[in-house]
Amino acid sequence: MDASQLSGQCASSPPASAWVRFLRSYGPTPNNSNLFDEYVTGALGRAKVQPITLTSPQLDKMKQRIASGLPGSILIAGTAGDGKTYHCRSLWTSLGGNPRDWDDPSLVKKLPLSDGRCAIFVKDLSELSDELSDDALGLLERSVLGSEDSEFLVVAANHGQILERLRDLGFRQGRVHPLRKPVQDFFLLSGQVPDRLAIYDLSKTAHRQSLEEVLSAIAGHPEWDSCIKCSLQSAGRICPIFENRERLLGANDGGRFVRRLGDLVEVARLNGWHLPVRDLLALAANMILGHSDAREGLMACGDVARHQDAGTAEHGNLYDNTFGVNLSRRRALDRPVFKALASFGIGEETSNGADGLLVYGADDQKLANSFFRLVGSDPIYGATPSYLAAQQHYLEGEETARLENGAAEFLGRLAAQRRRLFFTLPETETDYPFWEMTAFRFAGDYLDMTVALALVERKPVNETVRARIVRGLNRVMTGLLIENTDRIFVASSGGFTQSKISVLCDTEAPSRRLGGIGMSIRPDAQTGSPTLDIALAQGSTGSVTFNLSPVRFEFLCRVAEGSLPGSFSNECLEDMLAFKAKLLRKAELLRALRQNEDEVEPGEEDGALTLSFIEIEQNGHAFSRPVTVRIGS
Amino acid sequence: MRKQIEGVDFAVDEHIWGHRLYDEQLPHLAVLEFLGVLGSNVNNPLQAAPTERVRYRPQRQIRLRGLLFNNPYVESVRERAIPDEDKWKAWKELFADDATGLGDDDMNYLQQVFLSFDDFAKAIELLRSSAFEARSNKRWSSKFVFPFGPDALYEDLRVDSGGASNDRRFFARTGELMYLMLCRAARGPELGQKLIERIFNSKVPMNRLVKALQGEPQLANDARDVGYLPYTSHPRFDRLCEDWLAILSRDMPIYDALEHLITSAGLNLLMYFLECSKTQSGDAEPVEIVCEIVSRERTKVRALSGDSYQINQALSLRAVRTAVEQIKLTDVWSAALGSEDPEGECAKLLRAWFQWPPASGDDESDYEHISGDELVRMLAEKAQSRHEQHFGKIHAAWSRAIGLSSRRLARRTRYAPNDRLLKTLVVTIVDERMQFDEFLHEVRRRYGLVIGDAEGAHLVREKQVDQEALSENRGNLEMRLVGLGLVRRLSDSCSFVENPFGSKVDD
Repeated sequence: MDASQLSGQCASSPPASAWVRFLRSYGPTPNNSNLFDEYVTGALGRAKVQPITLTSPQLDKMKQRIASGLPGSILIAGTAGDGKTYHCRSLWTSLGGNPRDWDDPSLVKKLPLSDGRCAIFVKDLSELSDELSDDALGLLERSVLGSEDSEFLVVAANHGQILERLRDLGFRQGRVHPLRKPVQDFFLLSGQVPDRLAIYDLSKTAHRQSLEEVLSAIAGHPEWDSCIKCSLQSAGRICPIFENRERLLGANDGGRFVRRLGDLVEVARLNGWHLPVRDLLALAANMILGHSDAREGLMACGDVARHQDAGTAEHGNLYDNTFGVNLSRRRALDRPVFKALASFGIGEETSNGADGLLVYGADDQKLANSFFRLVGSDPIYGATPSYLAAQQHYLEGEETARLENGAAEFLGRLAAQRRRLFFTLPETETDYPFWEMTAFRFAGDYLDMTVALALVERKPVNETVRARIVRGLNRVMTGLLIENTDRIFVASSGGFTQSKISVLCDTEAPSRRLGGIGMSIRPDAQTGSPTLDIALAQGSTGSVTFNLSPVRFEFLCRVAEGSLPGSFSNECLEDMLAFKAKLLRKAELLRALRQNEDEVEPGEEDGALTLSFIEIEQNGHAFSRPVTVRIGS
Repeated sequence: MRKQIEGVDFAVDEHIWGHRLYDEQLPHLAVLEFLGVLGSNVNNPLQAAPTERVRYRPQRQIRLRGLLFNNPYVESVRERAIPDEDKWKAWKELFADDATGLGDDDMNYLQQVFLSFDDFAKAIELLRSSAFEARSNKRWSSKFVFPFGPDALYEDLRVDSGGASNDRRFFARTGELMYLMLCRAARGPELGQKLIERIFNSKVPMNRLVKALQGEPQLANDARDVGYLPYTSHPRFDRLCEDWLAILSRDMPIYDALEHLITSAGLNLLMYFLECSKTQSGDAEPVEIVCEIVSRERTKVRALSGDSYQINQALSLRAVRTAVEQIKLTDVWSAALGSEDPEGECAKLLRAWFQWPPASGDDESDYEHISGDELVRMLAEKAQSRHEQHFGKIHAAWSRAIGLSSRRLARRTRYAPNDRLLKTLVVTIVDERMQFDEFLHEVRRRYGLVIGDAEGAHLVREKQVDQEALSENRGNLEMRLVGLGLVRRLSDSCSFVENPFGSKVDD
């Protein structure tokens, strides 16, 4: 088939083009950030395709709550893109509300329920004037803290908005609004709300599951079936859109791609990133449709033939698209999801082994096998003819390659190959660990530890990992390159905790909990992330805890291995020093307590003072050496 | 009748700010001097009515400071491969050469204190590592050990063949004024008690170590009066007091809290300095400090914060001129002019207000036939030129010392708070957590710091800056605080400033 034939088909448009155009509207284009629910509803009508449906466990809970007849109101909270409007509208229609009433421009809607109550809907608190908002919040308070049972509020708001409005209202009323603190505490995962207030925080869903659901809803959408008869996907042609979708489905890699992406999303979540569903949808659409040389960075069916003919289809590969390489930097960074994924540095990070393979693999006999297995076997996005040519060009060192930026083309391709390797390296390739392709080299251990701790019958933390944590802690505590893994030195410089080196051992604690003292690692009740708990004395008040997020874990591991990466260390170092200061404070309090008890037994006070200095043996093992100071009698 | 200040040619700045604030007495030196006053008043800490005389007798601790800062031989002696006994002997000879003779002649007791010379050397090294400015090229008698406890406190001295004296080089009474300020704050006595409990605990190990080195405390020869503070109360005194109480309530070791106490003292003293300047010039607007939050990209707030710095820098000089010239607006001045001896009466009035011109009978009493206006002009000139030597440098010196101003990445100085200051602000203001917007509002309310678009709304209205630039500035602060582990983001629209030491412990 030649190009003219193809363009003939394009005129009558490829069979899935309406679907692809619809999917495109989910992508990270500049115009889809506002009024998303409303916009998609319209686009759906125009495209005449089946909608993308996601389950919503939260919606079921809301329905149950209202059906139960429990008094009180409902707050649907979330960040932009979490689906607040979607949930609000779905609840409205499921309770018998008319969709047309929903679409009319009134901001506050009333819905009489069959049980005689009346539900007042506010689909977006931020749209309300002060006056309307005061009314709504008045009802909220009456129905939650008062005895208003005939009416209740269903209000959607983002976190900041509801807190701000409550604060402002309280301020104008000359009081602290009684709902503000409970709501705030609920958002921050640490508090209880009154029984009559049901908060559904859409930002608190588990990301990995949401991601998997979004990916399977999009990649498994029935509209793709029309691609089977598409000429762009026949006679040896490879349509990048279809290829990306196939790889997402994971038939050929046992679901590895989705698993790896899920790992990234999980690590991002534990690092505090929130990825709204709208962003996950945008990510999925971008992974399939992304191409840097397309309108708004997203391909439509009409673009495919051109890329096939020009041999540039490979630039639309899903590995690059996952990180928004197809988008302008600014547009990519507008989206939390691309920002979160960018924090892994995938494409820039690499290991000598992986780069050796990618650069010399095709020529080097020792590497040839691995190269073929890991790169050559994928002629579509791996060892493509143009990649091999660029590699040759680079290695031959032709004139242009030596010029400034002469190697830029190849280096760009190298980054793309590294991204691909992260997603495709099998777990069994021990010479090429895939986490080494990221800024989080120890994330694999981290996830294993999280899983082990989450089991009902908790598995002990891997000994190597525990030892690494302890070594890292000790190095941060003392500022000395010490190797100890059996105990934790709570060290001080004598003065400020911030001092670089602390040689005075204030207290020691065993690196595992024994008789109520020492360090234990347990999961955080809410997020499930591992938490270090160091007890300096028995009992509940004797310990200090430290939440071990992935980035903090990475920091400790790298310090333990002897390197201190500059890029993300400042924040972690501050966190660690605050933790250290808290341990020192705990020791100070415990000492004061002991001193008070000692006063009963005279004699100890004036004799001698013992200071423990931390000293290091040749092998890096530290011990504390007591220095006795006799205080004048 | 105005208070007579001793030892000055004339008193102008002294009546605006007190006697005295001093540029080279950086905040940590002010706090150390303050602790010295407190240490002499442990039985009634920060309890003195404005009419009461506050006196103190500072410690000198010649042996301790000599061992730490006038004793460069410990390392080299320790490294010699000779028996322990010989090390002591060699060191004592060397030390004796530089000894002051002010109670440091016999150091034999150290051999009883430490089991070996090595232990002694280790202790010295430890104390030096946490000392203030241990490596600076200041004279040794102006270097200070960390205030571990009551035995670690001593006053700044000049030591020469004539003995030791306080030449007010670095302890120039700013700490004394701080003591008075806190006495005059509503919750002063409460703070006094807390400080005594936390800092004046002689039993803590580090204080005991210091005491072992020093032996019995050495005191100044006489007790002395503290300086003069013109106001019996001032909102800033209460702010300083409240801030210190907040810091002391945090769940952190006292030695870490000290760092924040020092920065907080510096910030509030700076605010006091600027506020008094404004009041004196009749400017009722609150002090405003527009801060650039430095980020990777150049921001438009930089120019504005540079201007803001310049405006504030000019405040004190204007205050001095107004303070002198305002005498001409008074009724007594008019009366003096209308009297039979206008020159004499004006001079008398000036003398009562400003201790100038000197009374006749002094060596060069040629002020007698000068007109009142001319005398005012002369005094204003003298006052301004004296002001520029030290008082006028306070804004620059202190704002740099607390990390509020900087020339980083720019040619001129502007307000660009550093991480340390930001951390102190969070530790001070945030009890546990606080919405980010509320935090911005609070730093504006307490210290006049303008960072975000809500706080700088009037600047936007006056078209000095566009709103986007300020909201970007706000975003930069948020990112900085995230980087310091002090902000937790709930979502795009909502973040909280969290104090890592916020959970209060009931002890």
